[in-house]
Amino acid sequence: MTTLKMLIIVLAILVILVGGKKGFMALSSFGINFCLLFLSIILIAGGFPPVAVAAFSGICILAITIFMSDCGEKEANTAFIATLIVLLLMILLIAPLDHLMQIQGFSTEDSEEVEAFNLAIGISFESILLATTVLSTLGAIAEAAIAVASGMHELIIQSPNISAKDLRHSGQIIGFQIMGMTFNTLFFGMFGSNLALFILLDKLQVNFGYYLNSKIFVGETCLVLYSAIAVVAVIGVTIELVVKRSNVFQQQ
Amino acid sequence: MEILWHKKRWINYLILVLLGSGLIVFAAKNDAFLYRQPIMRISQVKNGHPEKTTDEYGNHDQQTQQVLTGKVLNGKHRGETFTLKNTFTRSHAEDQEFKSGQDIFLNLYSSKGKKTTAAFANYKRDVYLFLLVWLMLCLLLLVMRIRGLKAISSVLINFILFLLLVKLDISWNITNFFWIYAVGALLFTALSLLIVIGWNEQSRVTFAAVTSGTTAALGLAVLVMWLTHDNGMHYEALDFATQQPKQLFLASALIGLLGTVMDAATDIVSTVFELKRSQPELEFKQLFASGRQVGRSIMGPLINVLLLIFFTETFALAILYFRTGNTISYTFQWTMSLGLVQAIISGIGITLVIPAASFLAAWRLEWKQHHDNA
Repeated sequence: MTTLKMLIIVLAILVILVGGKKGFMALSSFGINFCLLFLSIILIAGGFPPVAVAAFSGICILAITIFMSDCGEKEANTAFIATLIVLLLMILLIAPLDHLMQIQGFSTEDSEEVEAFNLAIGISFESILLATTVLSTLGAIAEAAIAVASGMHELIIQSPNISAKDLRHSGQIIGFQIMGMTFNTLFFGMFGSNLALFILLDKLQVNFGYYLNSKIFVGETCLVLYSAIAVVAVIGVTIELVVKRSNVFQQQ
Repeated sequence: MEILWHKKRWINYLILVLLGSGLIVFAAKNDAFLYRQPIMRISQVKNGHPEKTTDEYGNHDQQTQQVLTGKVLNGKHRGETFTLKNTFTRSHAEDQEFKSGQDIFLNLYSSKGKKTTAAFANYKRDVYLFLLVWLMLCLLLLVMRIRGLKAISSVLINFILFLLLVKLDISWNITNFFWIYAVGALLFTALSLLIVIGWNEQSRVTFAAVTSGTTAALGLAVLVMWLTHDNGMHYEALDFATQQPKQLFLASALIGLLGTVMDAATDIVSTVFELKRSQPELEFKQLFASGRQVGRSIMGPLINVLLLIFFTETFALAILYFRTGNTISYTFQWTMSLGLVQAIISGIGITLVIPAASFLAAWRLEWKQHHDNA
């Protein structure tokens, strides 16, 4: 048996042991999302436009992550709308900036890995990058939107006469906790996956200007910055959406 | 009235953000004097005729030659004009098309009696990097006010610590360099918790939970690797590996794992502590149960966050493999399996930290109550 298969089995057993029925749901949404991502790669490689494929699978991934998670229907609706708005905003931010920065495809540090390939494969690597950047932020924004929406709904149920200002303030407190920890996940994820690169760069004794301008370093940093921006934006949008809709919820 | 005032403040804020962006772009566009490497501003671009290319797998592309002319902005050669050639493809995998007005770093080669020649070294990207950092700080302040800066400072301090660890690893150059990062992981955890929560009972319990969850998850992963004899683990596919690849993989898996485990543990422990504060009559059993309840509801989304972060990094390479006639299983093994293993190890960490954090928090609170009563 391969290591990967055995690790998947161990994870499956643990998730169901710890989470029970919810664990089973988490596992199935993990499986579906994995298939969606794999399908997107195959579709893009098959010649479908990368951004359209990413938008389609992105909306599916958001819907699956949010509606299969453990929160009420109203919260899920709010969270879903908030993430869609942020998804659109992120595409509008990332597309022009990535074009200006030219961080798509492979860098000179990657050349050993790709030297056996003919790189003129006729797919725009710029749109592949846009697709991957947008997709990589989705998990984090879905998590943050769910947490803020359900936390604030809980508050409305407990004290139905809460003012918009107080509601917004507690939304910010919930959002702050989520954000601090999501930043940890994102940044440690980046440190972890780029450990080898950092060691290599330090061995090469590159100067400070290299960090600010090289394709690979700027590219990786932007990926994390985009995710951080998306998380902060989704917290703000979710807070405003809940405040706006709170009258409707209170009347029900 | 209040709404009007609100609107006015919004407009002021927007003007401030735009003004700041303009200033940053202007300053960074003119910061060439800070660099030692010569920078050229492209003033003239002549594009050749695009040539159609087709490879053996039937991929159609276009190749274009361009001649770039421009003046050097800094250093010894300031004001001199150079000309160089560039080739770009339509897919821009490892190249790019230059336009006039862009800045590039040059490598200059001079030998006695001959004219100095220039070669392209790097594209100048600092303008946009600064702009993006500025936009993030503005958004953070808008949504979170001053608190947002606290989260950023935690990240910055951890990043500095991370760079120091890398330096230590290189200067010591020991065989078992994994342990440098293992000790580093403890420091990362302690620092982040101190900054976000502060020094109190809650952060001590969270620290214990994170440490035990991370150790157990990594231990389990190593056990599985040993049992299966690393079957299917292509450590040689690890990018940029300059040290023993398996240890490097474990070290990066550990750091990635740490972030998520901390995420989950903090959520659970703070909820349990908050519950005890608002309802002091709750006992161990109930506290333990509600900790696990929180854990269950964050488990699904967190595992998905990991899947997306680790998996999307492999997109570009996987597409390249597919387009050049490789099978699905070969592509999967060589481009995605390591990333997926890393995501799964982190997933195991999340599942293990849920009972650990719930138990530790509930047990500690129970112990404290008995202690105070006695």
